[in-house]
Amino acid sequence: MERNPMRRQLASMRKSLFDQGYLDEQFMELEQLLDDANPNFVEEVVTLYYRDSARLILNLDRALERRPLDFSKLDGLMHQFKGSSSSIGAKKVKAESTLFREYCKSGNAEGCMRTFQQLKKEYATLRKKLETYFQLARQIGPMESANRPK
Amino acid sequence: MLEGKQNGQVFKLPKVILLATNITNVELEKAKAAGFADTVIMKPMRASMAAACLQQVLGIGKKRQAGKNMLNGSMALQGLLCGKKILVVDDNMVHQRVVAGALKKFEVAVECRESGKAALKLLQRPYCFDAFFMDIQMPEMNGFEATHPIRMMESKANKQMNGGMDKDSGRKGEWHVPILAMTADVIHATYDALNAGWMDVSKPFEEAKLYQVVAEFFKSTRSNCFT
Repeated sequence: MERNPMRRQLASMRKSLFDQGYLDEQFMELEQLLDDANPNFVEEVVTLYYRDSARLILNLDRALERRPLDFSKLDGLMHQFKGSSSSIGAKKVKAESTLFREYCKSGNAEGCMRTFQQLKKEYATLRKKLETYFQLARQIGPMESANRPK
Repeated sequence: MLEGKQNGQVFKLPKVILLATNITNVELEKAKAAGFADTVIMKPMRASMAAACLQQVLGIGKKRQAGKNMLNGSMALQGLLCGKKILVVDDNMVHQRVVAGALKKFEVAVECRESGKAALKLLQRPYCFDAFFMDIQMPEMNGFEATHPIRMMESKANKQMNGGMDKDSGRKGEWHVPILAMTADVIHATYDALNAGWMDVSKPFEEAKLYQVVAEFFKSTRSNCFT
């Protein structure tokens, strides 16, 4: 049980990210890699994710403006995006990616566009939550998680 | 894009990391002889799995169980993997980072490349890798296509050695760098494998057979150094 109120807050934030389905076990896998040599590994990978995926989001937006839609291209872009999202354990974002790909496969333009809007919402929400989380973590000092090996 | 269907059946993906097929020993030998990957890993790679998988294909220790959190026994594993040289080939930068991070934790020396082409450039002699982690579904050149030249190089070197002693290690043997194929999509990976001529799959997956087949893939290998 953390005595320090900030640590308690961090732990609580972390727990709710999992409980509310924003993150899955893959995020915990990343936390396993935290150690003294790599105290910021998770934040680094997440930062890389948001940088890398920003480009994909832009390309997807552009591709969705074309008429007719190139479902093969859209699916290819989303394959990449889904890969990155699942690598950091972004559960809701990953679910929307999967749905998007289903719509691509069935050639459902409306489904694609609707799902992409939802995906962008989830993506932005997660980003904000993680930013807050890492900010607090940095304030506290070296990252500690319940799963971290001693 | 290919559909995950054959004969009107939609495959249910087993929740395991292995490429499944109900193949016979003869076909298995053919697949291995054809140079298919030594094992298949589901993406995203679980950090705790990376070292365990590597340990198994390198034939270190007698542990059979992949999928358990290896980090509790990590001290022992660290010693065993320390200094191994691994090449990670993945066009997804985020996933590449995760795999590299997982391996570096065990003091493995990791090189990364974003494409099959870039990887093959690195593999002009001399090179010295103990294993490759290879993404299967990459644009331009997929993992199977990248595997082929690697196996050709090994085959050539083996012929030159002609079953004789390797002067560096003093060992007799065949060069065979373990390739761990990574895929988010086992079904498409299977079709890629088929199209690349690596395997001959004609039956639906069977989970029980799966373990048996892949357990046979795990072979002890010697250190693999081309100079």
